[in-house]
Amino acid sequence: MNKVYDAVVIGAGAIGTSAAYHLCEKGLKTALLEKGDIAGGSSSHCDAVALICDKLPGIDTKMGQASIDYYMELAKRFDYDFEFDPKGCLYVCETEPEFEAASKYCELQNNDGYALRMVNNEELCQMEPHIAKDLTGALYTPPSGSIAVSPYKVCFAFVEEAKKMGLEVYTYCDIKKINLNGKTNGVESVETNYGTIRTKRIVNCAGAWAPFIGELTGLKIPIEPRKGTNLVSEQTERLCHNKILEYGYMMSKFDSIHFKRKVSPLAEELNVAFNLEYTKANNLLVGGNRLFRSYDIRSEIETMKAIAERALRFYPELADIKCIRTYSGVRPFVIDHLPIVSDVDSIPGYYIAAGHEGDGICFSPITGRFMSQIIAGEETDFDISKLDFARFAS
Amino acid sequence: MSEYFSDDMIVCRCEEITVAEIKQAIKEGAKDVVGVKRRVRAGMGLCQGRTCEKLVQQLIVRELSVTPKEAGTSSARPPVRPVTFGELAGGAID
Repeated sequence: MNKVYDAVVIGAGAIGTSAAYHLCEKGLKTALLEKGDIAGGSSSHCDAVALICDKLPGIDTKMGQASIDYYMELAKRFDYDFEFDPKGCLYVCETEPEFEAASKYCELQNNDGYALRMVNNEELCQMEPHIAKDLTGALYTPPSGSIAVSPYKVCFAFVEEAKKMGLEVYTYCDIKKINLNGKTNGVESVETNYGTIRTKRIVNCAGAWAPFIGELTGLKIPIEPRKGTNLVSEQTERLCHNKILEYGYMMSKFDSIHFKRKVSPLAEELNVAFNLEYTKANNLLVGGNRLFRSYDIRSEIETMKAIAERALRFYPELADIKCIRTYSGVRPFVIDHLPIVSDVDSIPGYYIAAGHEGDGICFSPITGRFMSQIIAGEETDFDISKLDFARFAS
Repeated sequence: MSEYFSDDMIVCRCEEITVAEIKQAIKEGAKDVVGVKRRVRAGMGLCQGRTCEKLVQQLIVRELSVTPKEAGTSSARPPVRPVTFGELAGGAID
């Protein structure tokens, strides 16, 4: 059977499904290839929020805001319900130094026009009656910059909406070979268990697995799998009304390698930072941590203990609530914390949209739109040259 | 099994998911127990599929003419039974 497409997207997670949707929107005959099921990898092993307040000031935040605005539009436009839920976010500060650092961050974001603000202990306790009473305060982001979605339903939504525009989906698809033109080195075809698929354009959206797809054409894509873990509670009262995270994690992630939180050696060793959210079904998701464990996503009992212990520091009432499940997933980590959304100079017709680490759900809509603009030869909504694959050329 | 499985029968008791909803998930592309779970929440409740998993598997076997092995099972994830966060944090679990 002869299959010919204008574009082939590899990977049906939050990025690939969005890319496929937006390519269909541009009128391209598009196929979506996925080694397992839709949303089978990182996009079903993560949490559910899109925030601007976990981003660095600059393009990181700008993309976050653009994507959140776009989610609001898609929630109205799509028939498929992806559980869009505008809820605010509180980055809680355990100590004065954290509060000061958060205040500085808040000021930077305010200067760029984002409506974040600091709340003191009293206001925090009013906003979140179940939270520990001794916290210094928090950085608050209103729902205009902080929303929740069901991450896997986002993927299903993009697929179902794109099918209406002619998208063809190949799940459980093994990609055996990518053939390039002998003269131009341009993309020619993809060999799969469904046969040979002819196309002049492929988009590598395989996330943490993007390097394996890259290898097929000799491309070295510098993405590493970084493991994250969440605990799921039984269905219960909504202990929190906003997404809750501890600010200390931001400091240890971005700001200062000298900063040390007052946490147990286990939490320190396993890089645990507290976060909490409720889901539409009224489970609580309690996280989390970031570790390099290759592609091993088995749950680790020590991590579960450390996450539970850290969670009780901020929400003592969790002590009597039951944990019913733990899951881990890998996040596609890039050293400079920015995704790759780009063409590839050496291979005409080869594109990459991958490496979003923990921002794949947040950046999903905007990344798909950018990729379709790049492929259509249009200007992107704003300058994304920082996301160019060429930055790794040296 | 069709004589016992009417469309309005609840399969997943925790999440109250019916035969019809599971069939719809299969229609939308679910090929295994995990695929059904992600699309309609069957097996995501308090019992984590202890009751419904075999029934979901059988429905997939029937609808798609696959083997039970191909229909698969839910991924095994701890805890084996619900424990409180207090017990977890306190080190009562090894």
